[in-house]
Amino acid sequence: MLSVRDLCVSFRTEQGEALAIDHVSFDVEEGEILGVVGESGSGKTVSLLAAMGLINDPNATISGSIKLRGRELVGMRPSALRKLRGRDMAMIFQDPMTALTPVYTIGEQIAEQITTHQKISKRGALDRAIQLLAEVNIPKPEDAIHRFPHQLSGGMRQRAVIAMALSNNPSLLIADEPTTALDCTVQAQILDLVRRLQREHKAAVVFITHAMGVISELADRVMVMYSGRIVEHATKTEIFRNPQHPYTQALLETIPPLTGEKPKRLKVIPGAPPSLFRRPPCCAFAPRCAYRFEPCIKVPSLEGDRHQAACFKVHPPHG
Amino acid sequence: MADLLYRAKNVSKRFKVGTRFSAQGLRTVHAVDNVSLDIAQGETVGLVGESGCGKSTLSRCLVKLYHINEGALEFDGTDITQLGVRSMRPLRAKLQMVFQDPSASLNPRRRVKDLVAEPFRIHTKLSEKEIQEKVAALLKDVGLLPDHGERFPHEFSGGQRQRIGVARAIALEPKLLVLDEPVSALDVSVQAQIVNLLADLQQKFGLTYVFVSHDLSVVRQVSTRIAVMYLGSIVELGQADHVFANPRHPYTQALISAVPVPDRAGAEARQRIVLQGDVPSPINPPSGCRFHPRCPRAQDICRVERPVLEQKDGAGLAACHFPL
Repeated sequence: MLSVRDLCVSFRTEQGEALAIDHVSFDVEEGEILGVVGESGSGKTVSLLAAMGLINDPNATISGSIKLRGRELVGMRPSALRKLRGRDMAMIFQDPMTALTPVYTIGEQIAEQITTHQKISKRGALDRAIQLLAEVNIPKPEDAIHRFPHQLSGGMRQRAVIAMALSNNPSLLIADEPTTALDCTVQAQILDLVRRLQREHKAAVVFITHAMGVISELADRVMVMYSGRIVEHATKTEIFRNPQHPYTQALLETIPPLTGEKPKRLKVIPGAPPSLFRRPPCCAFAPRCAYRFEPCIKVPSLEGDRHQAACFKVHPPHG
Repeated sequence: MADLLYRAKNVSKRFKVGTRFSAQGLRTVHAVDNVSLDIAQGETVGLVGESGCGKSTLSRCLVKLYHINEGALEFDGTDITQLGVRSMRPLRAKLQMVFQDPSASLNPRRRVKDLVAEPFRIHTKLSEKEIQEKVAALLKDVGLLPDHGERFPHEFSGGQRQRIGVARAIALEPKLLVLDEPVSALDVSVQAQIVNLLADLQQKFGLTYVFVSHDLSVVRQVSTRIAVMYLGSIVELGQADHVFANPRHPYTQALISAVPVPDRAGAEARQRIVLQGDVPSPINPPSGCRFHPRCPRAQDICRVERPVLEQKDGAGLAACHFPL
């Protein structure tokens, strides 16, 4: 479905070149949910924005290859990309208020997305919008299409955005922290919704989040990012039951448990993630890693077959 | 219960929104509605709830950043309900607050050593030399290096900035520290550092905390007791372990079950309760029990009569007609 190879994204800034994404490769297969976890600045959002062709900063340099169903997206003409976006791939953003126009009703905004990509009358598009709103569990959808975004609650707005993203039956759906701005009980509703829709529409979903718990509820496969690189990539069960990379292990241990014995002190990862400008020329996690040894002065590559990890402790250097 | 440090009795805080001329007219938000809370010396009370439940408003009422509309506040034996800004000032040293966003609470144009020295300059008559010694000791206490004092807030990471905020708050050796979402803006790997730091400081200085957060697993980790809030009221109050193991209020149960937890090896399977609908607006709260429109156990009486927070046949208190 989506195939990303050796993707690098860097930004020219006053403080120098910031390498946001450093040789990232991954695939998304049909009908699966790929979870991408990482802390702020780890590159999880930028890598998927690049896939959507949404980085049009003149200071950005993108290299590598991004293929959607075999079609190369890097370097594609903006007009051609526009035809794909919204139809073949759609995106759900963290803050639904910024993804919606405050001056048009929900119905008009969903209908616009449909009429842009399909030959359909305005009336027909509005009817379809009602159907979509019903599908995402918005009560009284015939009334809701006449509402403006500010008249809806956060959870309802996010549902409307999801309805909009689904309007053209995209084969790839990218969700960037769609529940982070929501309350816990509403988040549970949205997660249920995403799971149900993914089953019904058989779309491939890339779910970006910083919350390990959310990934655990939803994803089939998980990719852990740290400082612009993928450090571990495996099935969900493998990641949570048998984490290999010291960063993944530490990340899971720092989260206080909700049940069972309460630890006296929480496990801590010392220090903070490196700045994009001053990334060490070694394994980026090495300065904070408890298992650091001599080979770590080099950058480990992602190795392994089904369970991949970028760590010399797991995959000792050759020779 | 150990010695009582703070007593909030029947506290209400209302805000007016809109004007007489706006479409819906002048309306009242009942942000905190008849809340009573006793805080004992040395404990940590966790305040949890979803956005709009009044947990932040309550915490600001406790430190008198807001004037309360009704009720009484008693801190360390003094009635502070009617105290104004000026008469509160001597007490401020003993009653401090840490805010969510560390960068918003630090003046970007001042060096860290000056930011941390400010409480001493305002409240004490120490000499400049003594202040500098105090500042150096404080920076060490919160895990910063001595030369960090020369830097400006923007030169620090989020976790370090929160350490500076904590250093300022504990400078005058307060008795009660109110922490409003102190780790919510931080990355997971840094969050644990601050949680541990707060635990260390509590032990070292004998601090009492009110810890406000929407993150239940963090609250469980730090709290002795927990107050669960919904639409301006406390719906459940009890020992932290008890509330998490045996919630009595249906809202508490749903809230705990809605938290996504990592599927660790050996973790127990959990029953999810997905509540329908959103939190209603505090401008027009539902009649009777405010949770009834979303409650799976609601019956006729819940629509009419508001339950009071009372002892249920366990250890804790719950405001429910049909507790679990």
